[in-house]
Amino acid sequence: MTKTYAIGHPIWCAGCGHFGVQGAIQHAMDQAGIKLHETLVLAGIGCSGTVQNNVGAYGYHSMHGRVLPTAIGASLANPELTIIAAGGDGDGYAIGGGHLMHGLKRNANLLYVIMNNGVYGLTKGQDSPTKEVPIAAPEENALDAMLLGLSIQSTTFLARGITTRSEQVNKLMLAGLQHSRAGKGMAFVEILSPCVTYNDTYPQWMNKVHDVDADPDYDNTHRGKAFAANFDLIQQSRIPIGLIYTGEHASLQSSMVGEISAFHALDEAHSARVSQHLEKVVAHYVV
Amino acid sequence: MSVATYDISAMVSKDLLQGKVRKDITFMVAGQGGDGSLTIIALLSKVLLQRGYSIYRTSNIASRIKGGHAAAFMRATSESRSCLGDRIDILVAFDIEAVQKASAKLADDCVVVFDSSRGTLPPGLVPDTGLFIPVPFSRLAVRDLRRDLFKNSLGFGLLGRIIGLPDEEAEACLRQQFKKLSATQLEPNLRALKEGQAFAENAGIAGSQSILTLPEQAKQGERMFISGNHAVAMGFMAAGGRFFAGYPITPATDVMNFLAQHLPAVGGVVMQAEDELAAINVVIGAALTGVRAMTGSSGPGVALMQESIGHCGSAEIPLVIIDCQRSGPSTGMPTKPEQSDINMLTRGGNGDYPHIVLAPGDPVECFHAGVLATNLASRAQCPVIVALDAVCHDDFTVPKFDLDAVVIDMGKRVTESDLNQMEQYRRYEITDDGISAMSFPGTPNAMNLVTGNERDEWGRVTTEPGNRVRMMDKRTRKLATVKPMLPKAVEWGDATSPIGIIGVGILGAVIAEATERLEQQGHRFHCHRPRTLWPVPQESIDFINSHERVYIIEQSEGAQLAALLRSEGAEPGRIVSILRYDGLQYTAGEIMQEILARETAA
Repeated sequence: MTKTYAIGHPIWCAGCGHFGVQGAIQHAMDQAGIKLHETLVLAGIGCSGTVQNNVGAYGYHSMHGRVLPTAIGASLANPELTIIAAGGDGDGYAIGGGHLMHGLKRNANLLYVIMNNGVYGLTKGQDSPTKEVPIAAPEENALDAMLLGLSIQSTTFLARGITTRSEQVNKLMLAGLQHSRAGKGMAFVEILSPCVTYNDTYPQWMNKVHDVDADPDYDNTHRGKAFAANFDLIQQSRIPIGLIYTGEHASLQSSMVGEISAFHALDEAHSARVSQHLEKVVAHYVV
Repeated sequence: MSVATYDISAMVSKDLLQGKVRKDITFMVAGQGGDGSLTIIALLSKVLLQRGYSIYRTSNIASRIKGGHAAAFMRATSESRSCLGDRIDILVAFDIEAVQKASAKLADDCVVVFDSSRGTLPPGLVPDTGLFIPVPFSRLAVRDLRRDLFKNSLGFGLLGRIIGLPDEEAEACLRQQFKKLSATQLEPNLRALKEGQAFAENAGIAGSQSILTLPEQAKQGERMFISGNHAVAMGFMAAGGRFFAGYPITPATDVMNFLAQHLPAVGGVVMQAEDELAAINVVIGAALTGVRAMTGSSGPGVALMQESIGHCGSAEIPLVIIDCQRSGPSTGMPTKPEQSDINMLTRGGNGDYPHIVLAPGDPVECFHAGVLATNLASRAQCPVIVALDAVCHDDFTVPKFDLDAVVIDMGKRVTESDLNQMEQYRRYEITDDGISAMSFPGTPNAMNLVTGNERDEWGRVTTEPGNRVRMMDKRTRKLATVKPMLPKAVEWGDATSPIGIIGVGILGAVIAEATERLEQQGHRFHCHRPRTLWPVPQESIDFINSHERVYIIEQSEGAQLAALLRSEGAEPGRIVSILRYDGLQYTAGEIMQEILARETAA
């Protein structure tokens, strides 16, 4: 077997939640029987943006904030691949925030994992969009990506976990991966992954979470009810976790990609087809 | 059809009906956006292309959906040209503003057809030696056809008579132009056409008594009438390009529209992204899977893409970027052409990274640049930018593209059988030619890590100083490797002349026409048009340093091309810059004047 790059070791601080997230991704790939060479793991910039080095699949370190459009491009170009995009709350909700709503709207077949720790770790402790009480602007509320996801009508899988509940995180990650692999669209999974160095929220978050999976009154298949429930919980300073919403909507691939097999192979059959088509196009301009 | 009797205030005098033969004629049709100026020019283009003329077509429109002043221009010549004539020979004006705008450029023997529905023309705007024909187009169209909309077909009917076009040929052309219209929509257009012809008849312009004669020209081989945008997109497809993402922007949207129409038919994908940052990164994602991918934009959009372009240079990702340059900075004048992205395209972005900038000058070269950029991106695994100027949106008559001559170069890629022979696979292996073989997801045993950060041969991020230097040098070597593939400059004129002229892109052909005319007056120049802007072509620097005086004509206030060549060794004392940044294109006559004025002073 040809030797390729040696799988990396995590660079995170001891106690960082990201270990658990990486573990959940690997567990899900394993459980779903997904081959490493058929997987592209893309990660943004930040502490979370190193996870691709540690999995053993094809890995790409994206531009800051651009992991989602890059993942969408890859998923459209070769729909046979398993596409896993990962990033932090700064990468996904701040510099890449504009892409998030469009990514949610497009519903491409991929798994997007956000490791949310409410802080910029790599640049040493600045407020992120999910910081509960921002130091610089305490009157601002934290952004809630699940509410955003619920408000966009083409989302099909929204989930949130917390690394202290690894069994649930593993379950959500596997369900998300299977959702995207089944061609149902984008699985958006946010994992509360506290930063022990700059924003150690373990105690607060553990006390504030409300597990909707264990809540018999919560309906994760009804967008409106789920939105209202999440909104109410947030108003009560609770953090909803679990499978927030699941539904059906056409995926981006189903509307944009005509054919799936060997998309990147520039074979003779394709060349001949292009030539035939272009002959007709050229004829249109001939005078 | 009721042929109305008109109050023809200026009957055409018989002595003007000479049927003067023209082989080079410039038309302008102008009015408010929506008046149909572009349609009349489109109809005229069709007619004259059929007669064997070469057509150069351009427009001058406002950046709004409807309204604003819009002018369409067309020059018909026996030889292929890339600019308008010095003077406007025929003007169809739907309002006073159109005549005011054209006035200074009207030829002495011009014909001006003026829509007099909204008032009379102030005196002094049309030369006394010209022919002025006021026609109440709008009033006639509303009175007889119930819609102002039909005035352009009416105008075309009259214009056909002026240029000696047989009525049946005009009708055939109109039918072809409006072939998508239903019979009920076509019918009033045909009536309008006949009404225009009837008006001409009443004015005495009939049959052999046309004002001008445009005889059939000998057609030279099979020709196409096409813009640079369509040509470059076609080149990308011909080279196996299968993925495009972009964000709408004038004047680059045509590239996306063309591909949206044609790529899906061959199994490709076109995606309209939420912004240019997304567009280029969607394309990067596609390129990571091995698909040949491209994005396109104009200056402001390319500025947003700058970080990604540098990233691809570092991460060694093949990518094609079309920049349809327009007037800047920032939003600038969105519908006006310029060549002022050269600084950004050649030296934009942070850090040092390999990339290539091509600058084609006509649609044939745009087609080849589309092919070459796609091949070069794969070969050099770096961003390749195709810098277009007004060539992107104007239409030109050029020889038919040779699709059979297209060669596809996929660059160095590892296959499963290659891997069987390899003990190890390193994505960023240091090689003599600087190029390391790519592998793509889906290939077993060839997993790689791709990153824009500095990394070792395996793709692992590192800041180790020795590695940094080796990697930087490796990436730089790639440009030397692909240098023989880069388009050489085109030179013409008198090689012994001590005076040189340089222009890039569309300006090449305009300079060629100017120097052709200057030569007839006994002035000889040696001309040079670079077709690669980055890496900076040494031949252009040598050209400057081997001439006593070199005029560099360009469309930027900052003399960006001259600055680029100076930065790599062209001697400043030899360079005389001629700059235009008013949003207009040069004509050959204007370039002649610019050069003669300076030569006289020299």
